[in-house]
Amino acid sequence: MTRGSTVLPFLLIALAAAPLRAQTIDDGLLVPRRAVGTGFLYAHDSWTRYWEGSLTRDNGNIGTLTTQSVTWVAGYGVTDRLSVMAMVPYVWTRASQGPLQGMGGVQDLTLAAKYQLLTTPLTDRGTLRAMVVGAAGIPASNYTPDFLPLSIGLASRWFSGRFTLNFQAREGWFLNGSAAYTWRTKVTLDRPAYYTAGQLYMSDEVAMPDMFDYTVSAGYQHGRLCIPISLSQRRTLGGGDIRRQDMPFVSNRMDFVKAAGLVMYRGMSLGASRIVSGRNVGQATTLTAGLFRTFHL
Amino acid sequence: MRSSLFPLVLVLAIAACDNTITSSEPLPPLQAASLDSNAGSWSMIVLSRPTQFAVAAPAAETSAAYAAELAAIKAAQSKLTAAQRRAIEYWAGGGVLRWNQVVRELVARFSLPPAPRSDGTYPVPDPENPFADPQFPFANPPYAARAYSYVAVAQYEALKTAWYWKYQYNRPSPARLDGAVRALIPLGDLPAYPSEDAVLSGVTVEMLKVLFPAAVAEITQRAAEQRNAALWSGKAAASDIAAGLALGKAVAAVFIARAGADGMKNTVGNAAQWQALADSALARGEIPWISQETPARPPMLPNFGQVQAWLMTPAEVATERPPAPPSTSSAQMQQEVSEVRRTVEHLTREQLAIAYAWNDGAGTYTPPGHWNDIATEYIRGARMSEVRAARAFALLNMAMQDAAVGCWGVKFLYFNPRPGQLDPTIRTVIGLPNFPAYPSGHSTFSAAAAAVLSYLFPQAAPDFEAMKEEASISRLYGGIHYRSDIERGQEHGARIGGYVVRFAQLDGAN
Repeated sequence: MTRGSTVLPFLLIALAAAPLRAQTIDDGLLVPRRAVGTGFLYAHDSWTRYWEGSLTRDNGNIGTLTTQSVTWVAGYGVTDRLSVMAMVPYVWTRASQGPLQGMGGVQDLTLAAKYQLLTTPLTDRGTLRAMVVGAAGIPASNYTPDFLPLSIGLASRWFSGRFTLNFQAREGWFLNGSAAYTWRTKVTLDRPAYYTAGQLYMSDEVAMPDMFDYTVSAGYQHGRLCIPISLSQRRTLGGGDIRRQDMPFVSNRMDFVKAAGLVMYRGMSLGASRIVSGRNVGQATTLTAGLFRTFHL
Repeated sequence: MRSSLFPLVLVLAIAACDNTITSSEPLPPLQAASLDSNAGSWSMIVLSRPTQFAVAAPAAETSAAYAAELAAIKAAQSKLTAAQRRAIEYWAGGGVLRWNQVVRELVARFSLPPAPRSDGTYPVPDPENPFADPQFPFANPPYAARAYSYVAVAQYEALKTAWYWKYQYNRPSPARLDGAVRALIPLGDLPAYPSEDAVLSGVTVEMLKVLFPAAVAEITQRAAEQRNAALWSGKAAASDIAAGLALGKAVAAVFIARAGADGMKNTVGNAAQWQALADSALARGEIPWISQETPARPPMLPNFGQVQAWLMTPAEVATERPPAPPSTSSAQMQQEVSEVRRTVEHLTREQLAIAYAWNDGAGTYTPPGHWNDIATEYIRGARMSEVRAARAFALLNMAMQDAAVGCWGVKFLYFNPRPGQLDPTIRTVIGLPNFPAYPSGHSTFSAAAAAVLSYLFPQAAPDFEAMKEEASISRLYGGIHYRSDIERGQEHGARIGGYVVRFAQLDGAN
């Protein structure tokens, strides 16, 4: 589909809070043992240009497509090496032109567990950490994925395995690299047949291609301040292009490269991101604002 | 927490691995319930009689030429590849049913409107340049209704002709004549000359080359595969196939000539005509339809109402039209607009699912394709012979083509606005069709189709009736039709379907 944030991106879901600093699914940080971080993240995502296959265009019957969401996020430090996270967004969409109605609803519940494989001092400059993350998502309401780009999500259950390497320098600089593979279940439409990728399928079930994501980020962290910037890429491993003058389809090959920046301070976050290149997605600009609190049990 | 989360993750991971899609429309090898040996005497629709095209007598079964053909089959059967076996299995499902699937796929591939140019105008698909952007055709619902009907009626007439000659010559299939030729599919007692598979491949490929010229390579390849499968399976010899192919192509020529002169090429119209439609509505004191697309797109095939119907004369097409819609300034129209608005604003998930189940909009096999999809299940279940299956699709698709002609004539007679034009607060949950509202095409198509299918499969009539109602009301749920569009459309479609049912009652096939 043509919205960058359909499956809520793994980056920029900040679980930041005072002493525990930042934590997202793809960063190199953990929630301290027996601490709970929770909060809300608002996101405003919009695009006017989009990629119809590899052709960039706009569409007078959509105008600007705006997707907003409020996501509840929470993290808990089970041990010093294991954190678990949960998040669920309420999403609503709107097209500025044309006859199509926006949609709204609770999208997908995401659960994740992050485990620190190793942490080791690297010379006397800083610390190297390696993390693995298992994450899974499941639609939390019976929304339709068959009205893209106005659907609120893709309605697939998914599971991803992620590996992250993080280097934290003593002076506060850090460098982070993360890669994930996502498996997705087929989705069920309300119609008995559909055409995609050059074939008519006489079925209401749609096979969803797997995805590969990777992210590099760098930034500065000092006390309660954290400023990461990142570049991330998604490759969808299959799926058809949006045909000429067609609507997007749930199993389209949705690829993008996204640049993002974030400022977190004392449990508040402000972020911005931009899709810089893509295929079958909108050239979206996303602004985020979050508020988070941490409790020690 | 760790112990409870990881099993969930594991279950999801395993579920994610099962990503195979099973077609809900498998076709088991056809074992026809009846030979329909009298099909050569069933009523013709366009051809005058089955002897309009003569099929020469085949060589004797004892001739050297035929012996060589049998030897060629044995040689082919001795070294069949996996791909050849798959082709045999594929076409064993029934040529008529398979080609109907192929046409639905072609319609879905080509049912996309042209993209606007940068100056806000729209190019018109050009049959002389079908591979360009925009591709030709834009297989919108009227185009699709006509395409399905041409293929189905041409196949039906060709098969009735073939059946006539089969029972003139009574040549058995190679596997029946020669014990050394294996029957790789269920073979009945149907005479082999001329081959029904070759007739179907010949007539269908010629029709599709005209209707979907950009798909010529794939169509030709499929047709050749169908003929080869008939030979490899022990069903037909080379001379059975050659005679069938020639017959199929000869019959197709009649239909291609009809298609060239049926008025389709005038259906797009021109800017002066489009303006005249709006002026006419204004002169009657009505609000004319305006395209809600950006940039505004010319209306879809405004002259399709003048295309030749199959079983209705132009006078009958005019006679059967429904009365005028409520005036755009009437209290009734106000009420109908509010009903659409209330419905869309309070849509339930079940109503949304119905709107999507029957949307059949751009990029799909269209509403006529949906009814072919529905019919396939019943035709397959009844184990119809090829000629009887062709009759069923011909009756169904003639009804829907005549419904398209009738409906489009009324749409452009009244040029009535869509709900969202009269009340811009109405937003739709499905794509908004770019042509006038009154009456509903879905309702007209569905009522005509349900009438024919209820005649063919009376035990399932309540199911067809329920599907017709759901398809029709889905347009109100979608926010694109008033209730009177739906009700008048259903009545109109039922009357049009009645013409086809009355033809079928007397066609000699019962």
